[in-house]
Amino acid sequence: MLKVIQLDKTYGQNKHSLKDVNFTAQPGEVTAIIGPSGAGKTTILRSVNQLIRDNGGKILLDDQDIRQANKSELRKIRHHIGMIFQNYNLISPLTALENVLHGRLGAKSTFAGIFGMYSTDEKQEALALLNEVGLGEYAYQRCDQLSGGQQQRVGIARALMQHPKMILCDEPIASLDPKSTKIVMDILRQLAKEKQLIILINLHQIDIALEYADHIVGINSGEIVFEGPSQAVDDQVLQKIYRQADQPKQAVTANEN
Amino acid sequence: MKTNFQSPQQFFRQRRLRLGIVLAVLLVIYGVSMVLVNFQTLASLMQVPAGLIWLFKNFIPTERSISYLGPILYQLWRTLIVSVSSTICASLLGLIFAILGAKTTSPLPGLRLVIRFGASLLRNIPVVAWAMILLFSFKQSDFTGFLALFFMTLGYLTRAFTETIEDLDGEKLQALQAVGANYFQCVFCGVLPEVASTLTSWVLYMIENNLRDATLVGILTGTGVGFLFNHYFKSFRYDAAGLIVLLIAVLVICLELTSTQIRRAIA
Ligand SMILES: Nc1ncnc2c1ncn2[C@@H]1O[C@H](COP(=O)(O)OP(=O)(O)OP(=O)(O)O)[C@@H](O)[C@H]1O
Ligand SMILES: [Mg+2]
Repeated sequence: MLKVIQLDKTYGQNKHSLKDVNFTAQPGEVTAIIGPSGAGKTTILRSVNQLIRDNGGKILLDDQDIRQANKSELRKIRHHIGMIFQNYNLISPLTALENVLHGRLGAKSTFAGIFGMYSTDEKQEALALLNEVGLGEYAYQRCDQLSGGQQQRVGIARALMQHPKMILCDEPIASLDPKSTKIVMDILRQLAKEKQLIILINLHQIDIALEYADHIVGINSGEIVFEGPSQAVDDQVLQKIYRQADQPKQAVTANEN
Repeated sequence: MKTNFQSPQQFFRQRRLRLGIVLAVLLVIYGVSMVLVNFQTLASLMQVPAGLIWLFKNFIPTERSISYLGPILYQLWRTLIVSVSSTICASLLGLIFAILGAKTTSPLPGLRLVIRFGASLLRNIPVVAWAMILLFSFKQSDFTGFLALFFMTLGYLTRAFTETIEDLDGEKLQALQAVGANYFQCVFCGVLPEVASTLTSWVLYMIENNLRDATLVGILTGTGVGFLFNHYFKSFRYDAAGLIVLLIAVLVICLELTSTQIRRAIA
């Protein structure tokens, strides 16, 4: 279980981006964070694996506080947290297979990682994962020759190669067409159910969030304004989440992208 | 720009006006500098054909110059070796400096300034000046030429590599960090594969460039094909000197064609 307690983040001097953020995310569930642009969704997600250093609070993953970890502990923790991005962020001249194998780097010695020394088992597993996301035939293709949807699936395979407890997704479908969106979201939901993973996902598309997420966290201007099952989200809740603090007259826009 | 134009016509009129002013300024600068150096454009242009004909008559290799082919090819080979080896050595060291100095990969922010400053110092001293300075300590030898090219190339490539690495999307490296990769793994598994083809292009370009510079440096250091050119030239064997120029041109063109092929293959 992921438990975020009183998380606080200030950029620079007085740009208060997260204020007293509390929420939980359960294994076996898809948890979606929704909120207007600039609300702090990315900041939350990146604090969870400490790509961003926050200013206070607790982030408990199975009762271990990630914030207290030293450098080598953090590396071990990160090894079990997958992350996928809007821009996929694969190493583009490398093949899909090599990118998936990168998921093992956190468990490798510096030397073995640098020289790409992967065992036969690891290579077999990477290939199996590519098959699992439907990309077996693209294993030896350069990643920049794959479509957006395919690249995102390579990203998922890379995350799975980490044997993750949790996968963080920062707007994973923002650059995808409806068909690829469905493929990617179906995979993520299936992973939560079958492998009992914690799936924490930032979304701009409310309809997708309501369709796929079990649990919804609503954020506005760095504050959690809603947390509950997706069935409990109604128009009133959405109004609250997407309220524009400084422009009250402007219409509420749901789909920012 | 905050200017508000009433109509597109007005906007384009202003555009044309600005272009006109720039052209006029350039013409004035040209005129003034002509007067200052006492350069008669027309008269000089008239002399060009005569000069070319003289060159043509004297520098065309004759049958006699074939006998010089052996020593020329040998020195050309040595010059090529010096330019290739200096470029390769400089690019290896330059890569290390670039990784240490690029904003995205620098482990110490303080180091960035030092490397930046050092690289620009190396780069901004002309290669001929390098050769003359180094002549004091290393005398006339291939090694002096090698060092002069090495220093200039090191400065140049460090800068080019640094910029290539900084252009890389930092999020790609964060993705590897998120996996649990450490610094060295990020550099070797992420940065290097991403920049490899651009870096190779730079190295190939510098080899071409250094072959040309190596000839020039050779005149000073008394080595390689540059020295040979100078030697034949001063002893009035213009046809042999012409043969050297021809062979250098052929070699440079071959080099360019090869590197174009390599570049295409790795792109
Ligand atoms: N590196 C940074 N330096 C300063 N301020 C930042 C930085 N990154 C984010 N912020 C600020 O923190 C706030 C939250 O940003 P964040 O990126 O988390 O929003 P978001 O909800 O992910 O938005 P979007 O939906 O547009 O991706 C914003 O007001 C943003 O301006
Ligand atoms: Mg964001």
